[in-house]
Amino acid sequence: MWLESALILIILFGIIILGNNRLSTMIQLLALQSLVLSITPLLIHPSIHAFTMTIVTIVLKVIVMPSLLFWAIRHVSIRREVQPLIGYGKTLLLGGFLMGVAFLISSKLDLPDKGMSNLLVPTAFSLVMIGFLLLVTRFKAITQVIGYLVMENGIFLFALLLLEKTPLLVEMGIFLDIFVGVLVMGIIINHINQEFGSASTVNLTNLRD
Amino acid sequence: MELFLLLELPLLMAMVVFLPQKNSLRKIILLLTSSIHVFATISLWQYPRAVRFNSFLGFDAVSQLVLNCISLLFFVVSIYLIGYLDEKKRRSNRILISCLLGLLASMTLVMMSRHMGLLWIAIASSTLLSVPLVNYYRTPKSIEATWKYLLISSVGIALGLLGTLFLAISATSINTIFLDDILNNAAYLSPSWLKLSVIFLLVGYGTKMGLAPMHTWKPDTYGEAPSPIGALMSGAVTGCAFLAVLRVFQICFYAHLKEFVSPILILLGILSLGIAAVFILGQKDFKRMLGYSSVEHMGMLVLALGLGGGAIWASLFHMVNNTFAKGLIFLVSGNLNQIFRSRKIENIQGVIHRFPITGVCLIVGLLVITGFPPFGIFYSELLILKEALITHQYMVGLFYLLFLSVIFFGYARIILSMALGQPTEGHHQRVKKENFFMVVPLIILLFILFFVGILVPDAFYNLINEAIALLGGK
Repeated sequence: MWLESALILIILFGIIILGNNRLSTMIQLLALQSLVLSITPLLIHPSIHAFTMTIVTIVLKVIVMPSLLFWAIRHVSIRREVQPLIGYGKTLLLGGFLMGVAFLISSKLDLPDKGMSNLLVPTAFSLVMIGFLLLVTRFKAITQVIGYLVMENGIFLFALLLLEKTPLLVEMGIFLDIFVGVLVMGIIINHINQEFGSASTVNLTNLRD
Repeated sequence: MELFLLLELPLLMAMVVFLPQKNSLRKIILLLTSSIHVFATISLWQYPRAVRFNSFLGFDAVSQLVLNCISLLFFVVSIYLIGYLDEKKRRSNRILISCLLGLLASMTLVMMSRHMGLLWIAIASSTLLSVPLVNYYRTPKSIEATWKYLLISSVGIALGLLGTLFLAISATSINTIFLDDILNNAAYLSPSWLKLSVIFLLVGYGTKMGLAPMHTWKPDTYGEAPSPIGALMSGAVTGCAFLAVLRVFQICFYAHLKEFVSPILILLGILSLGIAAVFILGQKDFKRMLGYSSVEHMGMLVLALGLGGGAIWASLFHMVNNTFAKGLIFLVSGNLNQIFRSRKIENIQGVIHRFPITGVCLIVGLLVITGFPPFGIFYSELLILKEALITHQYMVGLFYLLFLSVIFFGYARIILSMALGQPTEGHHQRVKKENFFMVVPLIILLFILFFVGILVPDAFYNLINEAIALLGGK
């Protein structure tokens, strides 16, 4: 029961992020989503292992990543997303469609552990797709990183299916966070905004055929 | 002992290179480490093929084949770097060399890992370590290329992790994802999750390989990265990703999913060939052309895997030849870059008149990647066509021939004008003669290409045969 409400909350945050264009709001929403996400291991299998997972994810996904992102937007002084590739309304519609696809795929797959909520797999699929949608339709480097983080939250939910079975895999997800860290560092250290005027990947189009 | 020399020594040296103050000392450390790596790789030949260090690390015939290629190529590139880095004396090469050594260690880890999760970690770290290498020049263009490389390959890496997780979910009944356990208990894997896992793993690792339509980072990255780094990335790093694809293929073979995976591989292969054909034809930039050429050859590798049967032999043979051919041609492009200060094909004319060794290597390298008769790539391309015809996949054969002939036409135009055309004056006043350290590696690579592509020694032939036995080839 609690798990299902948490999952619904997670997916709602995902959709709100999709329809938003203020970067600081998006980061706050992402942090909220990650907070709910980090409690889910405790709701699935209350154990010492799950508890450490919760602590680690709270530190990484709720504290470190959002503050890194906030630092980045202060540093390159951008507030809003530019006009996206597809309009916000259409993106939301597409997001809803992708959620439908996620439920369709999940209905074809049988859960390894029957005791688990059958919302878990569709939620994870939806998050991965929403993240991917953000990644391909937005132009700001920071928004793309946010999309990547949403995708990563979806991957984390999949990893929870294996929490008790193959524990090492769950920790592998943490390695992915290092990637994001490098992405954000890349934006700041290389001063994409100094070289191109703004941290928008629209300007990163010199290389083409 | 081999474990230490292959894996831990490069990692240790990656930290040690931060200590010395002199650039030249670091280059010597790089050269020493890579030559020790080559010797350790060769000393593996004295053991039986399946070596196990512990449950996570070990070798089989497939990974030994790839390791030999990577180790040799890395050694050759480290000789080349002695001459190449000389040009940029003022800058510290600390980060470059440290990342190179780290890359060597992580690529070796890809070869060694007998656990699908460890394999993913190794591939992810090789991606991370190649980022500073691509961004060596720190120009706006190279930052753009680095950003594209980082973003696209991190999505690929994320999809690869997702695929690995799905594999673990499908293996809940055996509760491990050690490669040997998965292969021995392939019948117990849940088929629906396994199919999903195969798709995600192929897309994820395919992104690292640079298969179309996930190839978009490739021309940019190879175009902007320093040439020796381009040689390593197109020869060695793609080889690692291909090994990961081979592992996925191996699992499919044991789980009787060959009918499921073959059409996907064929589709990716034909698509890559098509994209390469379109973009090579009108290409004006030499290094970008090489990027598309890499897309072409990676496409051919997976196409051959998808066709199965005798084409699997062709795939592995092609991989070996492609590694050294790409190494050769990228190192030549480094020489041309320093001579002409330009990457535009129209500015690079008549190399052979002024710089005979570089010119000859340019012609031979281009002939090899085009698939000209005496060289190994011609033979593997022919085998792939033969397999397509005897399995009655005439449409595949038709598209394959069509795209190959378009690509051949594109190359021919470039080769003739670059190597033989009239040299334009005024471009190469700065460089009077070829640098010794930048010519020797070319000759070594020519020799290797001749050796593995035309002579095909028995030991090498047997190694490929043992490798394809693991993959279900004939």
